[in-house]
Parts: sequence; structure tokens; C-alpha cells
Amino acid sequence: MLQTFRQSMAWLHTWFGLVLGFVLMAVFFFGSLSVFDREIDRWALPETRFEPQPMPSYDNLLADIFAGMEAEEEELEAARKRIGGELPAQLQPTGWGAYTTHRDPVLDVFAEYSVPNPKDPFDHAHGHLTLDPRIGAILPHDSLKIGSEFFYPLHYSLHIEWKQLGTWIVGVAALIMLVALVSGVIIHRRLFRELFTFRPGKRTQRSSLDLHNLTGVVALPFHFIFALSGLTIFAFLYLPVGETVLTTPVQAHLMEEAVSRGLPFEPAGEAAAIASVDAMMVEAKKRWAERGMPGEVGFLWVTHPGDRNSFVSIFRAGSDRVAFVGQGVHFDAVSGRVLYEEPPPTVIAGINEFLTGLHLQHFEHWPLRWLYLLGGLLGCTCIATGFIFFTEKRKRNLNDATLVRWVDALAVTAVTGMLVATGAILVANRLLPAELPHRSGWEQTVFWMAWLLTLAHALWRGRAVSGCLSPAWREQCWAIALLAVTAVALNWITTGDHLLKTVLTDRYWPVAGFDLALLASAAIALRTAFMLRTRERAAARIEHKELLAMEVARG
Amino acid sequence: MAEWLSLALAVGSGFLGMAWLALSLNVHWQQVRARALPPVKTLRALAAVALSVSLLLCLWADHPSIAVLVWVMAISGSALSVAMLLAWRPRWLKPVVVWAC
Amino acid sequence: MKASALTPLHILSRVGAALLGGYCFVWGVTTLGIVLATALGMSFSEARTLFYLLAFLLFTAVFCWAFAAASHGRAWLVLAGGGAAMTLLGWLLAH
Repeated sequence: MLQTFRQSMAWLHTWFGLVLGFVLMAVFFFGSLSVFDREIDRWALPETRFEPQPMPSYDNLLADIFAGMEAEEEELEAARKRIGGELPAQLQPTGWGAYTTHRDPVLDVFAEYSVPNPKDPFDHAHGHLTLDPRIGAILPHDSLKIGSEFFYPLHYSLHIEWKQLGTWIVGVAALIMLVALVSGVIIHRRLFRELFTFRPGKRTQRSSLDLHNLTGVVALPFHFIFALSGLTIFAFLYLPVGETVLTTPVQAHLMEEAVSRGLPFEPAGEAAAIASVDAMMVEAKKRWAERGMPGEVGFLWVTHPGDRNSFVSIFRAGSDRVAFVGQGVHFDAVSGRVLYEEPPPTVIAGINEFLTGLHLQHFEHWPLRWLYLLGGLLGCTCIATGFIFFTEKRKRNLNDATLVRWVDALAVTAVTGMLVATGAILVANRLLPAELPHRSGWEQTVFWMAWLLTLAHALWRGRAVSGCLSPAWREQCWAIALLAVTAVALNWITTGDHLLKTVLTDRYWPVAGFDLALLASAAIALRTAFMLRTRERAAARIEHKELLAMEVARG
Repeated sequence: MAEWLSLALAVGSGFLGMAWLALSLNVHWQQVRARALPPVKTLRALAAVALSVSLLLCLWADHPSIAVLVWVMAISGSALSVAMLLAWRPRWLKPVVVWAC
Repeated sequence: MKASALTPLHILSRVGAALLGGYCFVWGVTTLGIVLATALGMSFSEARTLFYLLAFLLFTAVFCWAFAAASHGRAWLVLAGGGAAMTLLGWLLAH
């Protein structure tokens, strides 16, 4: 596009990096928080603060829970709209299942119900419950798991559910991440020589570029593989060739697969009682141990429950490796015998399992999890320093003044504003009354309103004077520190789980870890605020001297 | 060897590898030893060995699929630490090339 | 390509070629690729997984190429045109 390949790549990197950088900031930050999503859930839902539990008994506990489950009201509403008619009082379940990992005290339980006269043969309404597997107590529907149900979906869908638009936007952002990494390497002339270069003492434009390059290159494999694996996980959504141009081969394939595996594709239409699923779980564990990979049940799914053709699929939790569930054993639900045991994956399937498992990280390896957090924060730093470099470079050019002012305000919102919003939802979680109707909705409203406020603040306080950073950065750092410390204090006051208790006397690392992380964040935010104030004063003194010099020269 | 020890040594070895790699570059060598030129071949050979040892220690500690990820992330973290030391406290890297001082 | 020809319309065209043309191209490679791979004996889900793994690496490459191509017209022709042709061929072969 421009005169040389390198110039074109530089243009591409700058402008696409700038525009999608705002989205990527959120994706990387909330993705980083998602590494510890279940720990954040424990902090947000004090009634779930107990030890992780294995998959409970199906026969004695889950069977009754499933029998009593229903599709959610929102799902039924949406289904009524899709078929343009009424729904029967009881929907027929087509599947029900449970999922747990080595970090879950509470169990996630799901159900799928068939919708009569559907336009799409795979149309379902869904039900979902969270329960305490020790006693079968169901958690109130309105309890928002701030980690796994808010921060995590935020990172891949931005909570824009209409026609999956948010997931598409994140997909484009992830593609641009890959493009930015490739173009960044192309335009970085002295990649190896400057691999360890960071000169914090130089002007902001130089030191921010140094840090941008450092954080980008040092974790280049991490950034690249996470963007690529994220896209691959959603490839079925982004490239639905099987559902559009290749429907005939897909149908043939599904039929063939069902026949070769002996797993009935359609229900028989006759009712039949289910055999002991607990016995099936024992058999599955025995088979895994025989294969040299003893393990726990991670995922359980019953297809066509209550029907003669029903089958139960039991998958192993991949806590000791990257692939997150696998080695499925499928049982005939009525007789309890093994229908099909999945063979080791092919090379291609294995690579896909590796990439998916690498991204979704259900493995039990705390050092690697913390290294993931580091990688994510390095990604955030790369993007933030990209914004700072962009604005610093253009501040001296008066033609760019409006652009710089807007980019600066949006950068403040995307970086410190995002952290303020995060602190706000945590404080709201502790302050809002427990019996408040739609409490989870209110928590989310606080988050979005707080973020919007930071944009307004950034626009109001913005300045585009060369050598001066907007005071909004410093002021929002103060807000972050205040919110983080308040959250920790409120956790103590409202739940009694203060740090001395969770670290020493009644150890509970999920809550202790998050409280400590909040305090560390407050410390970093405060230090940054002081550092920015020092710079601001130094810049003001230089400006003052320059003004005096001009006066003297004139007079 | 306990898993935590193997991983700790892997991180240490990774750090040494990255430090030697960094010091094989003129500008960083001169932050530690003014006015000299680095013994490039020696340092890079040492770096290669240290990084390989780090990988082996990771493979000792965990399932291979996890070990590879741990190694890649650990050496990224090591490279970052070395860069931060060179930016703020370059003298602290002197012990790493103690034979040349 | 002279930098002086960088009008907003030109930029929009390049971006379009990269995003939409690139998407079309990747769609075409995926469709045709799966059809050819299954014809060579691979199972459908294997073939689909393989091309899903390659798709975004390919998209990255053609996206960058769209900005390096000699003209935006050529970028559109190769990416959107090529993609449409491959999709059509794949669809024909599959039915």
C-alpha cells in the first residue's frame, strides 16, 4: 500500500493496533483475571467458600436434581419467539450433564430440552443450576459468579449477545492481534539486539516504545498462541462451513459416526429406566487406570435421558495434562454395558486438543497459572504502552491535537477506567443487600456505569500539551487504590474472612490470594500515582522555565 | 527430586541462560563491564546449555504437554527479569559473569 | 504504489479487501480443502479440524498481503474472487 513493504506493515500495525487495541485491552485483562475465575467466584459468593469436591453420586443425588430441573424462563421466552407459538408445560429433555474441575467446590449442572416444531432441528432450550455437591443444595439463581460468569464471558464476548456480535468483534480483534505481532516483528529492525532493551530514564516516547517492544517480544509465543487458540476454539462459529455449504457431507458423516460408534443418534421414543451411573463411573475410572492414566470424572453427559436409546458419556478430568477432558467412555444407559471407548486421539485431533486445553487451562499446575497471569499482564502492558507511544509521538504536532485528546481519553478509559470498573463491581458485590431482587443485574450495572464515568472523567480532564500526561491517569490510579482496599476491608466486615484468618488460622487460599492481589494492585496503583505526580511537577517546572526564558528573550 | 525443586532449578537455569544471552550483546556487556567486548561465542554456548537444562528440568517435573508450556513461559519471565535488572540494577548481573571480572 | 494515492476511499478499500476478501478466501480454502481431504480418505471431522487449525494462520498471512499487494484491486480480485471460486468448486464437488 505504501512505498515499501515495511512501511505498509508499519501503517497496518499502528492503525489497526490503535483501533482494536481498546478491545484487546479488555480481552487480555479479563482473560488474565479468568485464570483465577473460580477463585474470584469464591470471593464473590461467600457461601461457596469450601474445599473443591469430586463429582458426586448420580444415583443418590444428581438423578433427583435432573428430574426436578426445568428450562430457564429467559430460554423459554426466546424459544416461544423462535417457534412463534406456545410451549407445552413440560419439555422433553434431550440431554443432561454435570461438569467439575479440581478447583470447583460447587458443581455446574445443565440440561437441554427439545422444542416442538422447531425451525432448526438442533433447537433447544437450556436449564442450568449450581449446587453444593455435598448435600445437593441448589444455589439461588440470582448469585452472580463474578469470575466465571462475568469476567470470563466478558473476555470472549464483551457481553454483547445479540447475534453473537461481541464474539465476532473479539474474533476480529484476535485476528488483528496476530497481524500486529507479525507486522510488529517485520517493522522492528533490531529485534535480537534490542531484546533486553528498556531505558526508563529517557523521554516518555522512547521508554514507552522500549517497554512496548520488550513486553511484546519477550512473551511473543504466549501472545501468538493465545490469540490463535482463542480463534480456533470459536472456529465453528467463525467458519460454519458444515452448517452452510457442506450440510450434505456433515449429515452423512454424523450418521456414519453414530453407526460406527454404536451411539444412537435418535431417541427410540420408548421410555426405559436408567441403570446405575455410579457403577458406570467406577468402570470408567478402572479403564483409565488400565490405560496408565488414572483420574477423576470431569464431565458427565446423558443423551436422550429416560429413553431406550439413551447413553451415558463419562469423560476424564485432564488435571495432569493440557488436554482438558478426554478419554470418553460411553455406556448404554439401560443395560450399563460399555458401548464405545474413545481411542487415543489422531495427530490432528491431538493438536486441536492441545491448543484448546492450553487456552482453557483446567490443568492443576499453580506455577503455570501464575505464569499465564504474567503473560496476560505483559500483553496488557504491550497494548497500553502502544497507546502511550501513539499519543506521545503526535502530541507535538498541533494538527493532531483533537485526535490525541480523544485517543488519550479513550486510553485512560481502556486502562485505568477498566480497573476502576473492576474494583467497583467487587465493592458493589459486598455492599448490595443480599435480598435485593435482580442483585446480579445491579452488580453488572454498577460495573458498566463506573466504566462510563471514567470515560467522562478522562474527557473532562484531558490535556494534549507536549510533555504532559493527562492528570486523569493519576486520579484514576487513586480511585483504583481506594476501591481495591475498600473491597478487601468489606470482605472482612461482611464475611469475617480477614487475611489473618484466611492465610494463617483457617487457611483458604482462593480468598486470601484474591485479597492479597487486591492489596498488591492498590500498592502498584499508589506508586504509579506518586510517580506520575513527580513527573507532572517536573514537567510543570520545565514549562515554567521555558515561559520565563521566552519572557526574558522578549523583554 | 521433588517437583517444586525441579521447577525452581528450571527457573534458575532459565534465568542464567537469558542473562548470558543478554550479556553476549555489546550494549549490555558494557553495562556490567565498561569498555570491554563480550566473549560472544562462550556466552551464547553457555546460554544454549542453560536453556536446554531448563527444558530438561521442566520435563522431569511434569507431563510433557505441560512441561513445554511451563518452559516457554518460564524463559519469557526470565527474559523480562533480566531486562528489568539491566534497566534498573545492571551491577546485580556481575556475579553471572564472575570469571570475566 | 505511491503514498500520495492514500485517499480515505483507497484505505477503506484496502481494509475491506483484507477483512472481507481475506475472510472469503479463508472460507474458500476451508470448504475446498475439507472436500478434497475427505475425497482423499480423511474423515469429515478430521478434515474440518485440520482446516480450522490452519485457517487463522492463513487469514493472518493474506491480511498482511492485502496491504502489501501492488493495488487494492488486485487484493480484492485474488482474495474475494479466489475465495468465491474455491467455495463454488467445493460446493459443486460435495453435491
